[in-house]
Amino acid sequence: MSKNLKTFLFVFLMSLSLGGFAQGTTTLAGIVKDEDGKPIEMAMVGIKNTSRHAYSDEQGKFSIQYSPNEVLVISAIGYNKNEITLSNQRQLEIVLTGGTSNLDELVVVGYGTQRKGDITSSVASVKSEDFLKGTVRDAAQLIQGKVAGLRITTPSGDPTATTQINLRGLNSISGSQNPLVIIDGVPGNISTVAPEDIESIDVLKDGSAAAIYGTRATAGVILITTRKNKNNESKQTVEYNAYVNQQRIFRKPEMMNAADYRRLISEGKNYEDLGGSTNWIDEVLQNPVSQNHNLTYFGGNYKTNFTGSLNYRDWDGILLKTGQQRVTLRADLNHEMFNGKVKTNLQLINTSTKSEQGGSGGWSWRQAMIRNPTDVPMNANGSWKENNAYMYDNPLGIINETANDYKNKETRFAGSVDYRPIKDLSLKMLASRVQTDNIYGNSTTFRHVNTTKNNLNGTANRSTGAATENLLELTGNYTKTFNNHRIAVLGGYSWQDNTSESFSVYNFDFPTDAYSYNRLQAGTALQRGLATMSSNKSKWQLAGFFARVNYILNDKYMLMASIRREGSSTFGENHQWGTFPAFSAGWNIANEDFLKDNTTISALKLRAGIGVTGTIASSPYMSQISYNFDQGQGAFIGGKWVPGFNPARNFNPDLRWEKKTEWNIGLDFGILKDRISGAVDYYSREVNDLLYNFSVPVPPYLTPNMMINAGAMRNSGLEVLINVNAIKQKDFTWNTNLTFSTNKNKLLNLSNDLFKATNDFFDAGHTGEPIQISTHRVRVGGPIGQFFVYKSVGVDNNGKWLIENQNGEVIPISEATPEDRQYYGNGIPKFLLGWNNSMNYKRFDLTVNFRGAFGHNILNMQRLYYENPVNKAYNVLKTAYDPVYGQTLNNDLVYVSHYIENGNYLKLDNVTLGYTLPNKTIKGINNLRVYGSVLNLYTFTKYKGIDPETVSYTGDFTFAPGTDHRDKYPSTRTFTLGLNVSF
Amino acid sequence: MKKIYAYALTTALMIGGGMSSCTNLDEEVYSEVLSTSFKPTERDLPYILAPVYSSFRTLMFGWQGYFDLQEEPADAIITPVRPNGWDDAGTYRRMHQHNWTSEQWQPTNTWNQAYSSITRANRVIAQIEDNEIPLPAEVGKNAIAELKAARALAYYLLLDNHANVPIVTDYRDATLPQQKTRKEVYDFIISEINEVLPLLSADVNTTYGRMNKWGAKALLAKVYLNAEVYTGTAQWDAVIKEADEIIASNNYVIDANYQDVFSATNHNSKEIVFAIPYDEIYGQGSQIHMKTLDPLSRLVYGMAAGPWGGNCAVPQFIDSYDKEDGRLYDTWIQGPQYNPTTGAMVIEYKKAVPGIGGDGTVAASNAGYRIGKYKIKQGATNNLDNDYPMFRYADILMMKAEALLRKGNADAAAVLVSQVRQRAFKTNPAKATVKGEDLLKGSVYQYGWQEKDGTVTTKNGGADIKYGRFLDELGWEFAAEAHRRQDLIRFGVFQTKSWFNHNPHAQAQNRTIFPIPFGELTKNPNLKQNTGY
Repeated sequence: MSKNLKTFLFVFLMSLSLGGFAQGTTTLAGIVKDEDGKPIEMAMVGIKNTSRHAYSDEQGKFSIQYSPNEVLVISAIGYNKNEITLSNQRQLEIVLTGGTSNLDELVVVGYGTQRKGDITSSVASVKSEDFLKGTVRDAAQLIQGKVAGLRITTPSGDPTATTQINLRGLNSISGSQNPLVIIDGVPGNISTVAPEDIESIDVLKDGSAAAIYGTRATAGVILITTRKNKNNESKQTVEYNAYVNQQRIFRKPEMMNAADYRRLISEGKNYEDLGGSTNWIDEVLQNPVSQNHNLTYFGGNYKTNFTGSLNYRDWDGILLKTGQQRVTLRADLNHEMFNGKVKTNLQLINTSTKSEQGGSGGWSWRQAMIRNPTDVPMNANGSWKENNAYMYDNPLGIINETANDYKNKETRFAGSVDYRPIKDLSLKMLASRVQTDNIYGNSTTFRHVNTTKNNLNGTANRSTGAATENLLELTGNYTKTFNNHRIAVLGGYSWQDNTSESFSVYNFDFPTDAYSYNRLQAGTALQRGLATMSSNKSKWQLAGFFARVNYILNDKYMLMASIRREGSSTFGENHQWGTFPAFSAGWNIANEDFLKDNTTISALKLRAGIGVTGTIASSPYMSQISYNFDQGQGAFIGGKWVPGFNPARNFNPDLRWEKKTEWNIGLDFGILKDRISGAVDYYSREVNDLLYNFSVPVPPYLTPNMMINAGAMRNSGLEVLINVNAIKQKDFTWNTNLTFSTNKNKLLNLSNDLFKATNDFFDAGHTGEPIQISTHRVRVGGPIGQFFVYKSVGVDNNGKWLIENQNGEVIPISEATPEDRQYYGNGIPKFLLGWNNSMNYKRFDLTVNFRGAFGHNILNMQRLYYENPVNKAYNVLKTAYDPVYGQTLNNDLVYVSHYIENGNYLKLDNVTLGYTLPNKTIKGINNLRVYGSVLNLYTFTKYKGIDPETVSYTGDFTFAPGTDHRDKYPSTRTFTLGLNVSF
Repeated sequence: MKKIYAYALTTALMIGGGMSSCTNLDEEVYSEVLSTSFKPTERDLPYILAPVYSSFRTLMFGWQGYFDLQEEPADAIITPVRPNGWDDAGTYRRMHQHNWTSEQWQPTNTWNQAYSSITRANRVIAQIEDNEIPLPAEVGKNAIAELKAARALAYYLLLDNHANVPIVTDYRDATLPQQKTRKEVYDFIISEINEVLPLLSADVNTTYGRMNKWGAKALLAKVYLNAEVYTGTAQWDAVIKEADEIIASNNYVIDANYQDVFSATNHNSKEIVFAIPYDEIYGQGSQIHMKTLDPLSRLVYGMAAGPWGGNCAVPQFIDSYDKEDGRLYDTWIQGPQYNPTTGAMVIEYKKAVPGIGGDGTVAASNAGYRIGKYKIKQGATNNLDNDYPMFRYADILMMKAEALLRKGNADAAAVLVSQVRQRAFKTNPAKATVKGEDLLKGSVYQYGWQEKDGTVTTKNGGADIKYGRFLDELGWEFAAEAHRRQDLIRFGVFQTKSWFNHNPHAQAQNRTIFPIPFGELTKNPNLKQNTGY
């Protein structure tokens, strides 16, 4: 097949000869600008009554040949058409009047840009001026609530965590739910560049748009464009942005305090009074002040220019000792040669992060919640007070006596050469290398429970990892306009490979804890055979060929067809290659004669598309028949211990792509000169050959889990985006923007040729110790995310749960069998809402953003574990003694529907007030703005946990969405003061 | 125009060239051994066999493993709620009171590990048969015989616990297995062992920890001993025949000291017929001391680990011992425990345990005698060296004795029982000898419900248990060896008696086999749940 593609590409390149030069006598070099003097890109410049056309470039420039007295017609969507009779001008500056239409913005699509007006797929584009301002965790948070169908949440208050992104529902089980993130053409992740360094973010939502990225695109594609020097003349600019913030826990869990304990003891409850009074939650929390500084330099001119930025971020978390420091350096150099025929770009991004977290984390947070409030942190001799209870450690001892240091360095080099042998043809080569190195050190002192309880005499561990990812892309872009036809052809080849290596060692029993993890050889567990060591190396390769054709007739009818043929090394030999086609069409109704003069409808476009994308196995080698020598599977044979030679996994050489086929129908509209504009999209996506690590019976299989392509799933939904320029006066403007999306999910089947005889459901999620039961069940024909639980309907006089059994009768929980469990609610929201407002009054600016999710339930694990007074060894919530169905609970901890709550919420998420000083108030400063902002300000919800939004739906929770885990890093409210200056 | 052709051609060639060199998607493997590149030889046989045996380690002493499955539903060991936890949503209480469901972990873990051994054995057998593992014909035949014997051992565990289980012997058959009746599983095991016996090694010196001829015969004797439970038809003569052959081989003796059979160096014991070997470093998995010792006991043993403090002896069981029986002290850690360095008393384990918990009762951290049979060395980590003796010579003698007793030959049985008791009464050797008439008596175990203050109310005693005294002998000799559930079932006690906080379950008869794990039912629709679940 790859040969066929080669032939195809060859033919396509050969066919370039149909291009030709317009003949004329005079060459006009012009520039098209708007009323503010900003260049207009992609303005069509034509000679009336001829086929000669040109388009303005990024700087608004164009050149065209003409004969005297011909008429130059300049049009750009959203601007008034302009006609100029030419005499013998050689240079011309044209100013187009009329507001900018949102259809005229440039949108970044796969391997190129397109005018928004020409787009036939579902693509959302957010420019920097619309970004969320203030404290922003990463690029995704910039566009939180601004793209319909894209759910961005901050599941954790951990300063090292990133946002969680989900587009159009759950679409893969084992593949990543995270969209493909491309930064200036190079794959990366959502925190590769500092948020302050981003010019625009474009999201390819539907299959027809994303299919050009083939196997990595099922979860959507986010294209990040970094800021570049756009000055036309030689000029230098320096910008400085900075903020400081303070974080506080969003809502504090109300555990019982020492007085509550003593009151209950006096009532005869079996609690232990240890004489002290400690609020353990306050002991492990802090209200940290964090800061962020960003310095950007722009220099040079349109031929040779440079952008450099330096970002320093020092964030601390609300749990003691948590935090992260990050320095990001970016240098971007552009140079143009041979009259613009060759353009080169060199980009370097270097990010180093460092965190020194101590022992804070889920474990210490749990310990702070369950620890006896009458206990004290320290013994009289200064050691941490410990206790022999099971799974019960002093959180302060864990936090303070652990070193947990992590350093990561990522260096990205990218270089591209864009060669334009003729005006309409661009041949581009992009090569990049991303190198990641990290090193981790962990140790515990002699005052840590590892030693005080477990006699390990200090523990220390070091591990390191390195990864190199290479990318080579060759693309050819050909655009041609003749008469009313515009055609753009793209062809290309892409290669990506990734090699990862890691190494880890652990030792204990040290003569001193002074070494921390810096002298591992001093520990004697190594000599005793108890130290551990491991190393690993893996590699994957991905090759793809792709092509796309866009055809636009009369600015009314648009067609797009694309195909990608992609191969991955992670699949079995017979299934390495997959084909991912896409097709879409658009009809710009507004340009039809019957609407052309309509003053109400300023834009109206209908789009429809279909596209196929894939999902790759998340780790390599899953299809290999391979073995390992494993000491853990060894035995005593022939008088000595030998390692076991055991299969690495269940063999599945038939492993292949997940394939998602998606339909999308959309309508873009603008009313009253686009004062009201927006888009409506409906999608239906079906994923086949779902990859999942299914539970399989042993025998016939070797191990209880196996990666299998089995099953199909459908997601469908509606997305609405509405922008309103509600008020547009001299001193006061108000823009409001509403996004709304729904998602409906259904598991269609769960079988394939190899794997068909099993039941039509599987269980997912887990409560953890001591309840030990799965929380969700996914059944064919039903949606993902359903809780599967004993439905509690009452509590009897003895404080035991009463549940509804499978026949609808009320029975005591002691008589319940697993068959009595039932579906109860769903963790995936039925619809999402975003409402963003930005207002300007004179020099003040105000943004107020709301976000909400509705129609879902949350399993509140904090209540599940801590709202039950039965175990007196651990502290519980104050509400634990509140009557449940009129009774005080006296039941073992058990998973019942009582703890599954309504998860609806509306969040007043971001309020920012800024003030811009008048120009030249301070000499040398062009622009100065100060602002204050609050993030996660208030939540309207009935949910009783810390924060209804902080619910993870990736990793272990992919099929168990809506689980609010008890150990989760609590979410925060952030107060920010910031400054933007440009010189 | 020509120029454009040239451009296009150059580019096309460039791209084409790039493509041909950059479409190689062969997977490069670094940290695994590919089956295509590894050609095993006879030298690799130990590595290939090892995984079949390694599953038994996890099976036996793994977390909520076979040991707990056999002891916690029985009358000698309990895991009560303690100040440091051990409620674990009632899992231990359900074991004690026979209220387990198909989601109970202990039976599920035994199922999983037994089938893990079976599947591994099936795979290696198929690979040897298909010459994927090229071995000389004789070596291959013997290896297959050993693998089948090990597989039969795993099937025996399933026969005893889950009863109606699938029999899978063909690794290449990828269809979902069909369920078999307990009788079919029983017949399969008997015929498998008899088929491979002639090929199994009779040498005891080089086969420690592996299935040899004597291990297979011991297994056969064990299956026959319980034949009446499994099939309704007793096989006492067959028990005697297999036991006699093991005795006649003269390979085994009763070790001089009871402790020697369970020590950290018990691989030297002459009593052990088949053991599951453990090692602190190479063969990890014996954490029995971690579960039983109170956290403070780490000071007694200078442990590099903090024990969890859970299970202990049922006081009524302790009361059944003769106070001069050395096994009472060799099996159970009791009384004050001292720090060997400072001499200070660390903890004093008391016999009394107020209750299993769940009703607010919490057993003190020092309540109940602890399992000390597998002697804990100074400086122990969380993995012990002591091997688990699955079949030992005393067991062979007692199996024969029971068969003789049940056939009416109590005096001959008493000779064997006395032989086993010999080393237990070093202070008063006269007590070692029992007579035939003794064995015909009932049990001295005070069966009945124990109140919180330790008194046994609603006594139903043990006097009415047929051959109850022999059951007591089994209890004293094999306490904490994962024998008790099977023995109680064979003597009818499991289904009928009360002890500690256990009363006979409403479905007592169905509780003698465990449910098919819920997860297996959902994975394999061919499986039907056992009666009563």
